[in-house]
Amino acid sequence: QEYESRVGPATEPPSHPQPTRRKNLEFEPLSTTALILEDRPAYLPAKSEEESQRHRQEYSEMVAGAKRREMKEAQKKKLSHPYMRNTRRVRELWWQGVPPSVRGKVWSLAIGNELNITPELYEIFLSRAKEKWRSFSETSSVNENEDCGVSLADRESSLDLIKLDISRTFPSLYIFQKGGPYHDILHSVLGAYTCYRPDVGYVQGMSFIAAVLILNLEEADAFIAFANLLNKPCQMAFFRVDHDLMLKYFAAFEVFFEENLPKLFQHFQNNSLTPDFYLIDWIFTLYSKSLPLDVACRVWDVFCRDGEEALFRTGLGILRLYQDVLLQMDFIHSAQFLSRLPENTPAHALFSCIANTQMISNNRRWNQVFSALMKDGLKETDKSSSSSSSNSPALRS
Amino acid sequence: MQNNRKEHLYKILVIGDLGVGKTSIIKRYVHQTYSTNYRATIGVDFALKVLNWDSETVRLQLWDIAGQERFGNMTRVYYREAMGAFIVFDVTRPTTFEAVSKWKEDLDSKLTLSNGQSIATVLLANKCDQKRDFLTNNSLKMDQYCKENGFVGWFETSARENININEAANFLVKHIIASENDILKSVVPDTISPQLNSDKEMTCSYWLSLD
Repeated sequence: QEYESRVGPATEPPSHPQPTRRKNLEFEPLSTTALILEDRPAYLPAKSEEESQRHRQEYSEMVAGAKRREMKEAQKKKLSHPYMRNTRRVRELWWQGVPPSVRGKVWSLAIGNELNITPELYEIFLSRAKEKWRSFSETSSVNENEDCGVSLADRESSLDLIKLDISRTFPSLYIFQKGGPYHDILHSVLGAYTCYRPDVGYVQGMSFIAAVLILNLEEADAFIAFANLLNKPCQMAFFRVDHDLMLKYFAAFEVFFEENLPKLFQHFQNNSLTPDFYLIDWIFTLYSKSLPLDVACRVWDVFCRDGEEALFRTGLGILRLYQDVLLQMDFIHSAQFLSRLPENTPAHALFSCIANTQMISNNRRWNQVFSALMKDGLKETDKSSSSSSSNSPALRS
Repeated sequence: MQNNRKEHLYKILVIGDLGVGKTSIIKRYVHQTYSTNYRATIGVDFALKVLNWDSETVRLQLWDIAGQERFGNMTRVYYREAMGAFIVFDVTRPTTFEAVSKWKEDLDSKLTLSNGQSIATVLLANKCDQKRDFLTNNSLKMDQYCKENGFVGWFETSARENININEAANFLVKHIIASENDILKSVVPDTISPQLNSDKEMTCSYWLSLD
């Protein structure tokens, strides 16, 4: 019999794997082979034939799964090449989810470093942030002099604000809270950012994005990815709370919404349920607050591959997934449902809904629809165009 | 048959600085629970509560609005058609109280009723369990502050210890209903209704009567 007892008495050293034995498998996870007991020890009743067959099958499935993961990881390492990124095979693997072991690396490379931030630069901004916190805590009352020239962004970047939000970032994980292992790192990354971009400052939602990056990258790399990610046009529009520009994104989203889910779109129209009731939370946190963390990471994978379009496509995927329930709900219940999605949103169902969402409307892709809306906006009034492009949010509030 | 059971639907805003406990107050009020694990609210969150009010039904929609001042422009759309508001501050952080008048001004500038009045607004001094001497030190000052800033009243609350949350909500609902009745009287022609203390009466132009 092929599957005879492989491991004898427990005293046999496990360091002698016998790779020739599993000829039917081209792949051997060496580290575990010797430890697997396929048949029971002689002093126990033997397995029935069905049972051992089932175990053989389960084992080969596990090995095949491990092999797939290994291959995927090997593939992912090649993703960084710009010419590899768009091959069909790589795009497909990417869609299936980047393995956690290389996820941070893949994200970093995909996000890029247009801003040319170095770890040294991060250290400089971090030490500036630390200095600022020290002086804040010395004067104790942060806001006393707010009317004497301290800008809004500056005031909002205060230790207090970031501190308050850090403890409310993935609280169920208990790692970003005070005393948790990543508390200080999250604090540092956000603080350094407010020194790097005082014109943007700290905005709610950032703590979730930084936290997800910190879970996947080293501190300085997380900062570099964070700053570059926020520098993307869509993220800049939202985090600067450029309302006019945000409305353009919502309008583009609605074009594809109507195209993909006409019935639900009409239902939302009838109930005056506009995208600002649900998209704000989704876009500001890149779904990390509303979807289970592992599912959100897969959304980030696709976002890294396809850019901002993927964010809106994901939104439509969520609406498609829950279309039937939403069609039964009135305004307030839909809004409530969307602002607190079921905690167990299943990845496979969601991703098949996202895959079924076509980002083409009248032969136009997302970018074309969006830039057409931007042009319309510019034509409409001079006022709206000037306020959307040049003013900093600090001056407009 | 509930033919003449009147049903009211009121939208209530819950606003105030970041981290003052807006979400906690709402969770306490609606779900009778408290947790230190709430996530920051981004944009807006919603909760519903149904009250039996005398012989009538009152449905409350509580709109939990993100506290960061920066979102001011964006949250304007959320204020529409609200009939009452809580403005919340944290008694342990004086800056959140300093921001109260800004929140009130913001609310009044974004939301005025047909007759130019502002909506009924109650001030909540939250986290009073962490600073028990707040009331004794500030009671008179707070009464004066509410008068000057157009609040119908104020409560010292604690979502953690469940102090005064129901009381504050009932108080706000009472004011909303009173002002609603007021505006009803004023729209009936040939009825003279002398407006005593008219500057203190808040009115509301929205109400629903359903079967």
